Amino acid sequence: MIRLGLRMAVAGGRAAVARLAIIGAAVAIGVGLVLAALAGTTAVQRQNAHYGWLNSAHAEAATGPSAADPAWWAFREDYFRGRSIARIDVAVTGPHAPVPPGLSALPGPGEYAVSPALAELLRTTPPDQLSERFPGRRTAVLGRDALASPDLLIAVVGRTPADVAGLRDATQLTRFVSVSPEHCLRCYVGTGINGMALILAVVVAALLFPLLIFIGVATRLSAARREQRLAAMRLVGATPRQVATLATIESMIAATAGTLLGFGLFLLLRPVLAHVPFTGLRFFLDDLELTWPAALLMLFGVPIGAALSARLALRRVRMSPLGVMRRVTPKPPRAWRLLPLIAGLAELTWFVGRKPYTTNGQTAAYLSGILVVMIGVVVAGPWVTMTGSRLLARLARRPAGVIAGRRLADDPRAGFRSISGLALALFVGSVATGVITSYVAERGDSAATPIIHNLMTVTSWSGHGQQPLDQASVPPSLTAVPGVRAVVLIRDNPQIDKNDPNSWPGLISCADLTRIPGSGHCSPGAAAAQVFPNLVPPYGGSVRGGSDPQWPPAPEVPLDRQAVIGVAVDTDGSPAALETSRTLLENAFPQVDGAASEGDIRDDSTRLLRQMQRLADIVIIASLVIAGCSLAVSITGGLNERKRPFAVLRLAGLRLSDLRGVVLLESAVPLLAVSAVAVAAGFVSAALFLKSQLGYELRPPGAGYYAVTGTGLLVSLALIASTMPLLRRLTGPASVRND
Amino acid sequence: MSAALRASGVELSFGATPALRGADLTIATGEIVAVMGPSGSGKSTLLHCLAGILVPDAGQILVDGQRIDTLSETRRSELRRDRFGFVFQFGQLVPELTAAENVALPLLLGGVRRKPALQQAREWFDRLGLEGLHGRRSGELSGGQAQRVALARALVGGPQVLFADEPTGALDSITGEQVMELLVSLARDRGTTVVLVTHEARVAAYADREVIVRDGRVTSFDTQEAAA
Repeated sequence: MIRLGLRMAVAGGRAAVARLAIIGAAVAIGVGLVLAALAGTTAVQRQNAHYGWLNSAHAEAATGPSAADPAWWAFREDYFRGRSIARIDVAVTGPHAPVPPGLSALPGPGEYAVSPALAELLRTTPPDQLSERFPGRRTAVLGRDALASPDLLIAVVGRTPADVAGLRDATQLTRFVSVSPEHCLRCYVGTGINGMALILAVVVAALLFPLLIFIGVATRLSAARREQRLAAMRLVGATPRQVATLATIESMIAATAGTLLGFGLFLLLRPVLAHVPFTGLRFFLDDLELTWPAALLMLFGVPIGAALSARLALRRVRMSPLGVMRRVTPKPPRAWRLLPLIAGLAELTWFVGRKPYTTNGQTAAYLSGILVVMIGVVVAGPWVTMTGSRLLARLARRPAGVIAGRRLADDPRAGFRSISGLALALFVGSVATGVITSYVAERGDSAATPIIHNLMTVTSWSGHGQQPLDQASVPPSLTAVPGVRAVVLIRDNPQIDKNDPNSWPGLISCADLTRIPGSGHCSPGAAAAQVFPNLVPPYGGSVRGGSDPQWPPAPEVPLDRQAVIGVAVDTDGSPAALETSRTLLENAFPQVDGAASEGDIRDDSTRLLRQMQRLADIVIIASLVIAGCSLAVSITGGLNERKRPFAVLRLAGLRLSDLRGVVLLESAVPLLAVSAVAVAAGFVSAALFLKSQLGYELRPPGAGYYAVTGTGLLVSLALIASTMPLLRRLTGPASVRND
Repeated sequence: MSAALRASGVELSFGATPALRGADLTIATGEIVAVMGPSGSGKSTLLHCLAGILVPDAGQILVDGQRIDTLSETRRSELRRDRFGFVFQFGQLVPELTAAENVALPLLLGGVRRKPALQQAREWFDRLGLEGLHGRRSGELSGGQAQRVALARALVGGPQVLFADEPTGALDSITGEQVMELLVSLARDRGTTVVLVTHEARVAAYADREVIVRDGRVTSFDTQEAAA
């Protein structure tokens, strides 16, 4: 029987070989992409793990081997042209100091080590913009073990213990963190367990699920023809077991070939995938690997899954050799399918005005609500498809619409199946985009002025537990930097009232305030103003006025006798001016946090959001393409299986253009109907979450969302259209013949 | 003459639609019986019940005095393979297999090794005027040729009963007659019982006896009597 099965699968003529090739190719694409998604997930985790050692300031979190001599360690974030640099000032106290990964020893005073990407930047950037921030000479380049990505910018700067001890958050440590931030509650560099769980949930829901559906669709390609064939064999006496064996062999051959090809495809895709910045940074190729369980699961799981699917599908044939001829119309989906969707939205609505107090409570409330809505979209899909198709059949005036509507309404589950992944992707993408767009818009409204990017400041104030700045250290050369327009001092407010929301820690003369366009203005009649030390009103504060805020008047104190808590350098916004100013400020005040613009800080605070947005974009595009492939494969399979009735319709006078209309409508109606429901459910969920958790209103998404979604839908429709040439060939008069 | 097949009080419904309502029929060994009737009368359903393809809701089907409606699915499959042959209107050849492999299929399913099975199958090609066609696939055969291949497949295992459902339905009249002549002569030579479902009087004329199925019940009358 096995031999007969093999014979039928691989030597059954051109049609059988073509069928095998199509199924194999489709499975290969699906398996290749699943492997890429699995390896991508592993890469995200491995990349995250490499951030571990940067969290070593939290001694209680350190887990590595302990050293005899402690090392001083002060971590701070520096910036260069919108990129973040992890700067660690270190000082050894003896010969047995701990050694971080990627280095053979900590640099001594006057030495520094940098990551390869930073080394390259140092090589190609004028020294006054970057390398002069790092005193001494470069003695080492960080090795692979220290790096999460080839793009990561890290500097380990050696100094004396006294120098480092005076830095903010300086600490002594005897060992480094050797676990992933995912498993370290106090780690702040890298992604924590909740972030990783979110990333994995998005990948699984929006990428793996559609891909598995795609593989399922591919392995079921031509299944109806196979069932007919096997039913014919049942007529001549093949037992159910024999038929099951034949179906298993046939489906396993295609699935096995496709799986093996898929592994090859993954190996080809891997270097390309390493360059896709899922997390904002490229991956190292060696991080982009499959785990053994994942590889084995795919290697054996897909062929076994295909075999099981084939056997399950044979139940109709097993029941009767006339099974395929006696196929009954499945029961139509009922309206109860809307209940999970309604329940999920009701849950999210209930929490508006009833926000849980704890983070865990919020996570449970919102994530479970969104998850229920997501399941609801999938459960409701067939009902939405049926409703859309019935509407189409009722409203259609041309035969194409009537035929397509009726056929879809007969089996809406099949119509929905190939686009269910797309529905999930659109839902996840819409939730992410709705939340992120609104969050960024709300946070950006308080001071949308050019100074966010043009004003470089260094601050050190008691509110942050720091000593004031030494006015004498302000470098005179700052004003000579090309592009620098003004340098002003922010002084300490000795009468700050912490209970008064209109009281700010900094003071500035109105004359200085007017020298910096966009920094706002004084209250009428005031000679000085209370300001936030970097001249940008904080989120949710009492300062209003959008791009020209009005600061409250300063108390009656002699301004020039107050300590300096900030230096603000107004530039023309050119990268050279900003970076040269930053270098001068950091060298002048090495004991405080690095100089930064408000834009640098905001970029930092929204980095996770932007990563999630990027992930959402990638997921939407990928899943739209996957859904398009699923559609194309299922349409090709459907055409092949229905070529005879279609050919008969053509012989009966139905025009080819009408037949094309049938095929297009059969695919486009579920695609568009379900997409609309998924997008609407996504934005409603986002709106309810924003209202409940943050009190924000939903903002319309940016052009990028429409571009991504629109392009993806167009690609899907184009893939559907690409199957049209097959129609003429498959439905020619010869197809009316019986095999 | 002993009864090769007997249906007694056979009832079968498809959902709420009754197809057979107490059909009774006895067919003697070596007899050729034409089952006739209007469309939807239940004649094909009766054939499927007699052949063990469908299991009746009520009543009995006996083959050589042995009930087959109580047999398991597997046993009924083996019965079809070892003792029955089938010729249907269309859709019966496996397109992935060559004509010879199609003919050999019941033997292969019965555990005969490939080489002797194919050898046995090829012997039928000359007998049925299919010389040189054993390597072709079903799509490369004409309707008449495909039907003769199906006939060869039905007879290759030496069946006790041959079931034919509209065997000439998809053929022109001349080809149809050729196929029927072959079918009947081979059956008579081998003493095979034939149950022939048709709505064409000229096809039914090849039978020893005609039965009419109307509204799920069988009315029997002799062909010669009818002709007289």
